[in-house]
Amino acid sequence: MVIPSIIFLFIFCYIPIYGVLMAFQEFRIGDFPGLSHWVGVKHFQELMIKDPKFPQLMRNTVVISLLKLLINFPVPIIFAAFINEIRHPRFKRSVQTISYLPHFISWVVAARLMFDFFSSDNGAINDFLKFVGFIDKPIPFFLRGEYYWGMAVVTDLWKEVGWNSIIFLAAIASIDAEMYEAADIDGASQVQKMWHITLASIRPTIVLLLIFTVGNLLNANFDQTYMLTNQMGNRVLLEYADIIDTYVLRVGIAQTRFSFAAAAGLFKAVINFALLLGANMLAGKFGESALF
Amino acid sequence: LKSKKTTGDIILTAVIYSTMALMLVVTLYPFLNSLAISFNHADDTTRGGITFYPRVFTFRNYQTIFTNEKIYRAYVITVLRTIIGVATGLLFTSVLAFGLAHKQLMGRRFYTLFCLIPMYFGGGLIPTYLLIRQLGLLNNFWVYIIPNLVNLWNMILMRSYFQNIPEALEESARIDGARFYTVFMKIIFPISTPIIATICLYIGVFHWNSWFDAAYYVIKRTELKPMQSVLMQIISEAAYAERIAASAGGAVVDMGNIGRGKMVNVRSITMATMIVTILPIVMVYPFIQRYFIKGIMIGSIKG
Repeated sequence: MVIPSIIFLFIFCYIPIYGVLMAFQEFRIGDFPGLSHWVGVKHFQELMIKDPKFPQLMRNTVVISLLKLLINFPVPIIFAAFINEIRHPRFKRSVQTISYLPHFISWVVAARLMFDFFSSDNGAINDFLKFVGFIDKPIPFFLRGEYYWGMAVVTDLWKEVGWNSIIFLAAIASIDAEMYEAADIDGASQVQKMWHITLASIRPTIVLLLIFTVGNLLNANFDQTYMLTNQMGNRVLLEYADIIDTYVLRVGIAQTRFSFAAAAGLFKAVINFALLLGANMLAGKFGESALF
Repeated sequence: LKSKKTTGDIILTAVIYSTMALMLVVTLYPFLNSLAISFNHADDTTRGGITFYPRVFTFRNYQTIFTNEKIYRAYVITVLRTIIGVATGLLFTSVLAFGLAHKQLMGRRFYTLFCLIPMYFGGGLIPTYLLIRQLGLLNNFWVYIIPNLVNLWNMILMRSYFQNIPEALEESARIDGARFYTVFMKIIFPISTPIIATICLYIGVFHWNSWFDAAYYVIKRTELKPMQSVLMQIISEAAYAERIAASAGGAVVDMGNIGRGKMVNVRSITMATMIVTILPIVMVYPFIQRYFIKGIMIGSIKG
C-alpha cells in the first residue's frame, strides 16, 4: 500500500541526488547521469575563488538571513504572547484570521502589493510619513539598493508574522492554566506572568524552531528575492538582492552551466546542514531540548 | 480571584491593543487599496489618491479581464491544477502516512528513514530539472501534478494524527472482515476531518500559488500557463508601461496582448486580475482556520 508513494519518492527525491556527483564532473547534455568526465573540485574553485560575484552573493545571503533571524524570528513570538493577552474572544479571532491572510497569497501578488504600499508615487507609507511631517520628499524604498535589505525584512514580516506565530500560540495553548492561577495567588502582575510563565513555558518550541532557522541560513527566500527584483524590473537592486539561489537559477538554467550551478547548490546545502548540526549541538550543550 | 493591575499592566495592555490595531491596518490596507482601485474607473485612478474605497465606481476593469481569453484560459488551468493536485496529492500522501502510522507494516523503520532523508537532503535545482526533462514532463500539464504527489512535511503531519487514533477502532473493523481500503475509507477518513482539511488547504494553496514550474518547465506551450504566470506577465508589462508612461506624461497605455487594443489603465487591470487571483483563497481559509490550528498543534507536539 505504501509502495506507489515510495516509488514516487525514489524517482523524484533520490534520483536527483546524483547531482552531488555532477558538481565534481563536467556535465554535458546527453551524458548518462553520474558518468560524465571527472574534474575534481574545479567548479568549487571557480565559484569561491574565481567568481567575482561570489563575495557579493555570500554577503547578501548571509546579511539578509541574519537580519531575518534577528528580527523576523523573535517578532512572531512576541506577537503570539500579545495575542494570548487579548481578553475579547471575537477581537482575538479577527486578529488571528487577518494576520494569516498574507501568508496565503503568493509572492507574485505580495511583491506588487508591497511595491504599491511603499511606492514613492502616492504610496501609503510615504503619504503617511509626509502627513505627520516626518519627511519632505518621498523615500524611494524600492529604487535604491541600499534600502533593499530593510525592505526584505519588512515585507517578509508583513507576510509571515501571523502565520509564524501559530506554532507558538499552539505551544502557549498547552500551558497548564494552574500555573497562571498559582501566580495570581502569589500576586504576580500581568507583565510578570507573560515573562515568567508564557515565554518561559514555550522555550523548548522556541529553541527547536531556532535550530531549524539556523539550518536554513543560506536560504534567503528565493521567491521573495525573485519577485521583488526581477518582477518589478528592478535590476538596480541586484547588487544588494542577488542571493545564492537566484544566482544558481540564472547561471544554471539560463546559461546552462549545469555542473557549476550544481556545485553552488551543493556548497549551500553542505553549509546549511553543518549549521543545522552545529545549532543542534549547541542547544544540547546548553541543556536545551535538541532536535536529535 | 483577580489580581490588581499595576502601572506596568496598564501600559502593557495599551501596547498590546495599539500593536494589534496597527497590525490590522497595515495588513489590510494593501488589499483594500487594490480592491478599491480594481473597482475604480481607470481614468480617475490616474489622478491618484484612491485609498479604501473607489471614487468613480465601475465594473469595466473586471469586464475587460473576464472577456480576455488568455486570462480565462489561465484561470481554468489554475483551477484544474488545484483540483487534480489536491485529489492526487491527498491520496498519495495520506496512504503513505497511514501506512507508516501502522506498527504491523513490514519494513516500517526502513520506509520511515526513506522518507526522512529527503526532508534534509536533495539533489537541488539542476538535477531535478534534468530529471523532469528526461521524463518528458517539460511543456506538459502533468509537470504541475506528478512531481508534487507527496509532500513529506504534510505526510509527517498526517502520520502524527493517524498515530493518535486508537488501534482498537481499526481492529474491530478487521475482525468484521474489512480489508485495508475499507478500513481506510470507511473508518479512518471520516474521523480525520481536521488533518484532511488542513492538508487539503496546504496542497491547494501550494498549487494555486505555484509559478516556478510554469515559468521554467512549461515554456513552449503558453496555453498551459496558470494564473500566477499570467499575473506575473501583466505585472511586469504594467511596470514597464508605467515607466514609459511616466516619461511620456500619462498613464493610459495600450496593453498590447492583454488589453487587446483597448485603452485601459494598466494599474486597474493589474489590480482586478490580482483580486480575482487571490479571492478563492481569501474566501476559503477562514473556514478551515480552526482545523489547521489543530493540525499544527498535533504536528508540533508529537512531531
